[in-house]
Amino acid sequence: MGRNYDENRGSAKRRSKNVNRFKSGREEKRLLTIILMRQGVIMILDKFSLEGKVAIVTGGGTGLGKAICHALARAGADVVVAGRTPATIEETASEVRKIGQRSVAIPTDVTDSNQVDNLIKQTLKKFGNVDILVNNAGIARGIEPSPRDPTPIQLGPIWELSNDKWHNAIDTNLTGAFYCCRAVAKHMIERRSGKVINMSSVGGLRARGGWFTYCSAKAGVIMLTKTLAVTWAKDNIQVNCIAPGFFQIVDPSLVGAKTDFIPMGRFGNPKEIGLLAVYLTSEASNYVTGECFVIDGIGSAAYAPTGYAPMVPLPK
Amino acid sequence: MILEEFKLEGDVAIIAGSGQSWLKYLSLALAQAGATVVVAVPEQEQIENGIGAIQHVGGMVTDLTSAREIQDMVDQTVSQFGRIDILVNNFNLEFGKPFLEVTEEEWRRVIDANLTSLFLCSRAVGKHMMRQKAGKIINIVSEAAERGLPKATAYCASMGGVLQLTRALALEWARENIRVNAVGVGWMENSFAGSSGDSVARYIPMRRRGQPEDIAPLVVFLASDACPYLSGNIYFVDGGLMARL
Repeated sequence: MGRNYDENRGSAKRRSKNVNRFKSGREEKRLLTIILMRQGVIMILDKFSLEGKVAIVTGGGTGLGKAICHALARAGADVVVAGRTPATIEETASEVRKIGQRSVAIPTDVTDSNQVDNLIKQTLKKFGNVDILVNNAGIARGIEPSPRDPTPIQLGPIWELSNDKWHNAIDTNLTGAFYCCRAVAKHMIERRSGKVINMSSVGGLRARGGWFTYCSAKAGVIMLTKTLAVTWAKDNIQVNCIAPGFFQIVDPSLVGAKTDFIPMGRFGNPKEIGLLAVYLTSEASNYVTGECFVIDGIGSAAYAPTGYAPMVPLPK
Repeated sequence: MILEEFKLEGDVAIIAGSGQSWLKYLSLALAQAGATVVVAVPEQEQIENGIGAIQHVGGMVTDLTSAREIQDMVDQTVSQFGRIDILVNNFNLEFGKPFLEVTEEEWRRVIDANLTSLFLCSRAVGKHMMRQKAGKIINIVSEAAERGLPKATAYCASMGGVLQLTRALALEWARENIRVNAVGVGWMENSFAGSSGDSVARYIPMRRRGQPEDIAPLVVFLASDACPYLSGNIYFVDGGLMARL
């Protein structure tokens, strides 16, 4: 605790001295209090700043990835937006530039390790280093519609699940994160500094009927996170994962989703994921690693359907 | 750049707890983030010991096993500041003894200090939060809420109880705009003081014990309005301990 705390205590002492000095002038004292309060606010909240950091966000063109790009940029990071569709990632990059941070869009398919290696190489060439990696690219194809593919593919029995569909989901959701982590590993270890967020899902913790590939891949992401966290703990690289529940990304009517079953009674707002990502990539979370941050409106904490709350008196 | 969403400006917080080493740092952190903080501890000296000197932090001596005194503390806070936005339950009475030697009195004392006090404080503050239709409760627990520790059965049981209270209460108040979360604290510099040595630090993947400044930002984050979709969960700040085999 030492250093920071003592500094603060020192400044508290200075504060009270200064306040005494201005005891006569009420106006000055008020002004001084405001200034000192501002200074006070800066100390702990400073830890949430990403100023001077360089972040790579995969799947940054749409949905949660886009929200993460915005939040990281607002917190002061320069953002490399990676994704398969040039038009959408370029759009996110220009939005980041509007926020006032540097940003480039680098078309990348995370299932191709050559493209991933190129993404890291390009980023290093352009920005010099990589502080933050957010492995957000993922697909839920065959389960729910995405902005790109609004028709959900019918879920079928497992014998109708083709090799291709299985590999495609595992490759994008799990292997892609592995490629990206592998590609930045040496760079982060050499600098003894780095923050990685992998996007899992509550589907990686709890099963849903028929979601074979998605749930398996997302569970894999959680364990990849923990293994990397334990491996890199001594290198001062923190690896955490976020497990979102249902978020308002596409028009809910497309998914036919209702919100009644969620204890909080609403979908998550992508902005909330963005701010969680800021916490997990900032200095504020330096002792947090290998953790899975479930953000699902409490759905996964329950063991009865939402709304079921029995009233049972104690026996006499 | 500091995002507005993380600030606690205008918020009123109560930290109820038995004077852990991080109490001082925690109250300082919440105050720095902009909150007005009331620290409720059982001993006057815990307030004098630095907390009283921090701006925007006030102390109140409260017997935290007495529902009446807790209610009194809550009433005074409300009458003075008008509202309570944040409750940090910071109960951590450590106790290690072989199971067969634990007396009924010791068992009750640990459960009372770690679990019953938390129930009383959450109930008293919760009543007020229900009226406001807003609030955040943050329960600071130990890793023992989810993992076992030999010769600490009473301690582990009390911590596990807090975790389950967190989940159940969060679900109960899911639509009342009151969020209940737990922060799981790993091995801190002075946890179970003197009984472990370096073997514990070597067991932690990050190879060091935690410091008060490690947990404070997460408490500020959960107390802020940054992430209202987070509730009913426990988040560990432990240097990777929960992830390791």
